[in-house]
Amino acid sequence: MDKLTEVLQSKFGYTSFREGQKEIVEQILAGRDVVAVLPTGMGKSLLFQLPAYLLTGSVLIVSPLLSLMQDQVEQLKMIGEKRVVAVNSFLTFAQKENVFQNLGAYKFIFTSPEMLQNNRFNKILASIDIAYIVADEAHCISQWGFDFRPDYLRISKWLQSNPHSNVVALTATATKKVVEDIEKTLCMQKPFSYIHSVDRPVIAYEVKEVETQQEKKDWVIQRIISTSGPGILYTQSRKKSEMYAEELKKRGVKVSYYHAKMDQEDRILVQQQFQQGHLEWICATNAFGMGIHKDNIKQIIHDHIPTSIASYMQEVGRAGRNGEQSIASLIYCARDVEQAFFISIKDFPEEIDIKYYFQNDEKIIQLPETTTRTLKYWKEELSEKETIELFSSIKQAKWLEIQKLYDLFQNDQCVRKQLLHYFGEELITRPNNCCTVCSLNPTEILYSREPTVFKKDILNWNDRLNELLPL
Amino acid sequence: MYFHQILLFIIHKFNGERSQTASYYLLKGKKSGQTIQDVTYFQLHSFFSLFPKLSKESYDEAIKILRQNEYVQIENAYISLTEKGFQQVKNMEKPGFNGWLYRGNEQIFWKRVELIVQTLSQFKFQQKKFIPNQKDIEIQHFVKKYFQKRDFQSLQFYTSFKLQLFQLLESANLEKFQKELFVYRLSGYKKSGLTWDQLTNYYSKTELDLKFAFIECLHILIDAISKEQHPDLFDVLDGIEVEVPLTESAVKTNNLFSKGYSIEEVAEMRFLKKNTIEDHVIEIVSADPDFPVEPFISNEQIEKVLEIADKYKSKKLKLIREYVPDLSYFQIRLALTKGEEVNG
Ligand SMILES: [Zn+2]
Repeated sequence: MDKLTEVLQSKFGYTSFREGQKEIVEQILAGRDVVAVLPTGMGKSLLFQLPAYLLTGSVLIVSPLLSLMQDQVEQLKMIGEKRVVAVNSFLTFAQKENVFQNLGAYKFIFTSPEMLQNNRFNKILASIDIAYIVADEAHCISQWGFDFRPDYLRISKWLQSNPHSNVVALTATATKKVVEDIEKTLCMQKPFSYIHSVDRPVIAYEVKEVETQQEKKDWVIQRIISTSGPGILYTQSRKKSEMYAEELKKRGVKVSYYHAKMDQEDRILVQQQFQQGHLEWICATNAFGMGIHKDNIKQIIHDHIPTSIASYMQEVGRAGRNGEQSIASLIYCARDVEQAFFISIKDFPEEIDIKYYFQNDEKIIQLPETTTRTLKYWKEELSEKETIELFSSIKQAKWLEIQKLYDLFQNDQCVRKQLLHYFGEELITRPNNCCTVCSLNPTEILYSREPTVFKKDILNWNDRLNELLPL
Repeated sequence: MYFHQILLFIIHKFNGERSQTASYYLLKGKKSGQTIQDVTYFQLHSFFSLFPKLSKESYDEAIKILRQNEYVQIENAYISLTEKGFQQVKNMEKPGFNGWLYRGNEQIFWKRVELIVQTLSQFKFQQKKFIPNQKDIEIQHFVKKYFQKRDFQSLQFYTSFKLQLFQLLESANLEKFQKELFVYRLSGYKKSGLTWDQLTNYYSKTELDLKFAFIECLHILIDAISKEQHPDLFDVLDGIEVEVPLTESAVKTNNLFSKGYSIEEVAEMRFLKKNTIEDHVIEIVSADPDFPVEPFISNEQIEKVLEIADKYKSKKLKLIREYVPDLSYFQIRLALTKGEEVNG
């Protein structure tokens, strides 16, 4: 057994590498810059975790999403790794000091782009041995990525001004343009790039256009009560997710809603209940999905047009991780296009906001926090006029993107083929159940759902305590 | 106790002398002189800072419903109970809250217990690696230390912890549904707790009702924990009780007073208004009955104010001042605060 496989077994408990993993790991070990595009669930985290055990020094992982950072830290702790820390704004002053003093002792140091501006942190980073640097969710670096975070661009400046080891960029979704942006922004030199196909042959695409919102709602409810889950219904608003959950509950489905306005404790409980199989369906906004470890999701339903192809792919990609045939259904009305556009730009600053922001103290402005952070970044980089132009062109790009997605669902070409095209790929083999346009028989994929008699469980604290802590 | 009952109870105590926002600030635990002083005047310690996250919308909605049901009325901006509302309050159980002492810290107690139970449950089923529900690093550190001090994987600790928790729930003065809330919010191996939404459906109550009932449950449990009977739970209470129930700013002012500075001097040194420092004095006096008030008001003056308040059955500053025009509003407030200590 070679050294790599040995570590794979002893640390991660797998007997063999998945497609692409070994090559990428070898390149990282050889000290090369790497860009890896791998669909979620293909062992992306292992790519940056495994080489750490074969090199001296710490790994610095920059991640723009705090919730994801949390999940990564927990996953590492799960495999028994204790030398892991997240350095972000959640740490109190005392905690930060404590971490700083022992920074070199950590094998994995997770941090946010904004922390890279902290001088003290940078000084300490410069004094310890860094094996390699990881840019996680690297598509957020690119303006063309659906989840663009200007904050993340700060990593570019940091790389320019700090002598550093090789950089590994990881993402689940990136078009050619986004990959180019990543390479440039991260100052990569002749990077090794590994781009896995975005195609998921086990996911069949069902697309359906209806006339009215009522028809849509009826179809969704009918589908969920008559076919088997587990599944996720993606809706566009908190209200809708609650409405669907309510309607489905009345019809005996074990379901819960999920959105960002819930208490954190309740969000965790819903995730767990779903993972443990106590819930059949989740009616969620796009806040649901990050850090979900469930491989038997059978159905994903969208009752709307998503705001980008990449975010759509990410959401449907949560189905069929166990390799079983699954189905992604999208049901929409013509009017949903405008709604999608409206939602995708709802946190965008208007021209008047930008002017106001540039001319006044930044603290007065009443905009969502992410918007303020975006503006703060551009205020340092661009003039007022340039910023206005920038946002107007991004707006336009968003509109085109949504139009493209709408066309894709509307025209009479294979949905899979078009989705792959968007990422610069050709469709080579077409699965039996491909899409509504080619060939699709939902009854082959979905089992009929046993109607459940909804019996109200009687709560008994004594029994429950004994179940939690049996003797 | 449910949300509407709590509001009626508070409005009853306010005796028709406060506007409708006063109960909101009280429940939120607003650290202004007025709110702190109200706590003492009207003996509202139980309810102070009960629900710091309470939204204005939910609060206004509740008041609207109470008005529609004619439990409360608003006259000249003051809110008071109607006869119908009074009948409701008369039949209520005494609240089990202790907001003044815990100030939201009961949630820390809850999170610690939750993580301890989750860990014990997972370990019982040989799951030594699991993802903690509690993400707060402070909570995780506390529980880690708590376990390090004990032989937490031993059957002996497991059994004694469970027994203490069981006895506590069994004997505490809680309603049955409150015990259910507590136990069903807990998670363990392959069993996750119920969400507020799920509990709301089960009990056909509003989420706020259940959350207040849950807070009351935590307060009652914390009060009932004793070092002798529940040694393992007693140690979870570390730092839950507020030791010096003063705002940070009032503490600073208090330190300067103890060095002998006057109100005016403290105001100047701290770049604050005289009013603010006076609020601090009221706050300090509320918390510490032994704080010397002689520099601000004489004993005779205090007695005079209390006599007037008693005679006219009112704590309205304006009314009282008509009879003691030589005293400032601050002095009257101070006198009333001292008076509450005697009566309360
Ligand atoms: Zn097709």
